[in-house]
This record gives sequence, C-alpha cells and structure tokens, in this order.
Amino acid sequence: MSEKITFKELVELIAEQSRQSQASANSFIHELVGIIESGLKSSGSVSISGFGKFELRWMNERTGTHPQTGEEITIPAQNKVVFKPYKALREEVNKPYSFLKTRLIREEYEEIPAGFEEDEAEEAGKKNTGISGVSSTAFKKGEKDLPTVDELLIIHDNPHFSGGKRIPKIDTSIPLPKPLALPDEDKMAGEVQKSGSFKWSYAAAVIIALIAFLLLFYMMQNAGEPELAQTPQQTEQELTSPPAPAIEGEDVAAEPDDAAVPDADGVMADEGTEQTVQTEFTTETYNVEPGQSLWTIAESRLGNPYLWPLLYHLNSNVLDNPNQLPAASDLNIPRLSNSDNLNSFEREQVALGYFSLYEWNRVNNPEEARYFLWAVGVFSPDLLDSPPSQVNPDDLAFARNR
Amino acid sequence: MNQSELIDRLSEQTGNTKTKTKELLGNAIDVLTKQLMNGNGVSVPNLGTFSTKVNPEKKVYNPHYEAYMLVPEKRVVEFTPAAGLKDDVKFIGNKDE
Repeated sequence: MSEKITFKELVELIAEQSRQSQASANSFIHELVGIIESGLKSSGSVSISGFGKFELRWMNERTGTHPQTGEEITIPAQNKVVFKPYKALREEVNKPYSFLKTRLIREEYEEIPAGFEEDEAEEAGKKNTGISGVSSTAFKKGEKDLPTVDELLIIHDNPHFSGGKRIPKIDTSIPLPKPLALPDEDKMAGEVQKSGSFKWSYAAAVIIALIAFLLLFYMMQNAGEPELAQTPQQTEQELTSPPAPAIEGEDVAAEPDDAAVPDADGVMADEGTEQTVQTEFTTETYNVEPGQSLWTIAESRLGNPYLWPLLYHLNSNVLDNPNQLPAASDLNIPRLSNSDNLNSFEREQVALGYFSLYEWNRVNNPEEARYFLWAVGVFSPDLLDSPPSQVNPDDLAFARNR
Repeated sequence: MNQSELIDRLSEQTGNTKTKTKELLGNAIDVLTKQLMNGNGVSVPNLGTFSTKVNPEKKVYNPHYEAYMLVPEKRVVEFTPAAGLKDDVKFIGNKDE
C-alpha cells in the first residue's frame, strides 16, 4: 500500500497489458504526455474519458511568506495545473471506503468533552473521531451488525426526513427502510402490523385445540356432577388466580382466544386492574445459528424485529454487549400472545429491554443512549415515570419531549 | 481538448490507427487506475505524480437539515504537476505578457 511505482515499472505494466514492446509503450506514454502538454497550452484543458481532466487554472496575484526567511513576498499571478478525476476513477480509488456513508449527527455532539472521545477511540482500537462510536467501528470490521434503534431514530429525529426521498441520502448503510415505532401509538400499531410476519392464526388454532382438549379432560373427570359447564372455568381459575372471583375466571379462559381477535386497549387495561396479570413468559430455548443477530431472531421468532430488546432483556445472563451475539449460544425466546398487539405485561418487558439497552449505552455509547430511553417511553410510559434505576435528567426530558 | 481530439493527434504522431490508439490509451489508463486503486503512487515524467490520500472523516454543517453531518473517510486522487510542465504553462494566456 501507498508505495510509489517507478516509471519503468509503469511502462512494463502497460507493455504487458497491451502486448507491446516496452520501447513502444515508453514512446507512447511520452507522446501522450507531449500532447497533453500541448493541449494544455492550446486550449487550457485536456480530458481523458474514464480517467480525468487536466486543466489550467489562473491564480491571481497574492501575497505569501517565504518558507525559509519568513518574509512577506508577492506571488505573481500564474497558471496552475489541476487534475480533476472523473467519477469512474474517483469511485475506483475510494472503493475501500465506499461502504461508509454520510450520516446525520446532532448539534449537541459538539459539546462532548474531549476526554470521552479519546476513551472511545481507544476502546474502538482505532482512531475514530468518536461520534460514530461503537456502531461505526463494527461496520468497519465488515460485520453485518444488527441495526440499532438510535441509528434509525436519528433519521426520524428531524421533521425534514419524513419526506422519504431524503432518507437514502442520509444513511443508506442502515438496512432498515422501515421506521421504528413512532411516538404516535396508532402509527406504531400500523408499523408493527406491517412488519409482523409470523402466522399467528396457526398459533391461535393450536392454543384453541389445547384448551378444547383440557376442557374435555376435565369434563371426563367431573362427569356425573351437575354443573358441567361451570366446572372447567373454575378449575382454570384456580390454576391461575385462586383469590379472583368466578367471573374473572371466564376472562382467563377466554384469554387465549384473544390471539385470534385483536385485543382492544381497554381490555388490556382491565386485565391489569383485575389482578389477572401475566407475570412470566412461557419461553423456549433457541440455538443461535451463525450469521444471526438479535434483530433477525426477533424478526423470525417474535414476528417483529423491533422487539429484539426483549430478547436482550430475557437473556441478560448470556448477553452483555447487545451488539455482539455469541454464536451457538442458547437464548430463551418468549412466546408472545400476539406480536401485532402486545398486552401490557409484554409491553412492559419490551420497555425493560430498551431500558437495559439504555443503561448499557449510557456506559458505552453515551450520546446515543437517550434514544433507547425514548423507546422505553414508547412501549411503556409508566416505566418512564418510575424508572427502575437512576436516569440522566437530560435524557429523561429528551425521551418525554420527543 | 477532448478525448477524440486527443486520439486524433496521438494517432497522427504515433502513426497508429485511431482504433489502435484508443485501445493503447485505454490500456495505459487502466494500468494507472489499477495502481491508484491499490494505493500506489505513479509518477509520469514531464507530466506529474498521481498519488492517493485518505481524507479523514469530518463534520460539516448541512444548512438544509439544520444539522451536522459526519462525512466519512474518503480516499482521493492527488495530482502534483511536474516542475517542467508547471513552468511551461505558467504564463500562458496571461494578458500582461
């Protein structure tokens, strides 16, 4: 890299490529150079397609300092030869860096203390201006890093960006054409529905079949007793919440059906107040395959990639850095009632996931941490009001006022 | 002077056909580009030196978005004209002379 090849080597290479003698290649180059010079003299510019354009640029008289004596001298007006590479050459030369894209940063970053940048650069193992931090370093390594919410949110932060066509200009490196949940709940539900791909009707069918089987089982056990219809519900109720009145038992029995029929917010709130709240996920173990990220797993298993913080939260014993997923590790994957319409417990868990991401980023990536806090508020505004641990008041204000 | 004028004059001087000249020029440019692509500098006598350098990432203000943008690192071609060429063309078109 970045060594200089001699003219002799250049002539050899050209002779080889065009299957000519070195002498003729040599004279060809000399002719070319002579013509370029005479072209510059006669018309002031010489253009070579696919390469670039040599141009004369007239520089006006100016004053400068003598580099050795330091005294002020007048530099007379004169021509300067400039070379403007054409696009093909520019792109070829920039190829090793072409995956890096211009991205929007916030004005507030101006105020980052200098000490922080150094720390981060050391951590990243590479001199980096520190702004792009962890994610940018990951891109440099060429990993398909899982997209983080903050990168996405940066785009949405500015109202101009909702114009759609501007987005690719800003950051095409993020493989996320879909916006994350917007503050507006309705819109969020819309997005979630669009991105949800898991066939929940099948899951609902399975659950209903299970319930039917259970009912049958209890009916057989209690055959002979007069109130056949009432019994299974009561048994079900005993299993889940013994102190609750019988009417709520019906709610519990009916709950799995909600998977098929999208639940209204009101019903979810009722469940919350009536103490029939779900307190734990049924989980299954999932073995991570090479090339997967929390994002892709959340997309395939939970039906919505934006729920990946939930996986991070539930597997905090295995995962430390949310941007790194050890291959072949076993993850607990929760079974959600309906990924298109989370119940209040699930929302809270997702919010907790975002909160743990916020905590992680506060240590490792402070200037982007608050976007995670904002996402906490999107999923569970209550959690924002009473955070599980200390939050930065600035971040909190930011999360609330978005 | 554009590409076709350049080819015309080159073929005149070297005695090759235009097609042949075009091919030769293309090969020479290919080799140059390839060297620059690998980060090698190339100096051509009487013309100048082509080299590459990496511009570090920088922060710029975008007035349209009213926000700062981070422009990533970029490798660019640099050209330093040879002293002979520089002196030869220095005062061409100068109205004072």
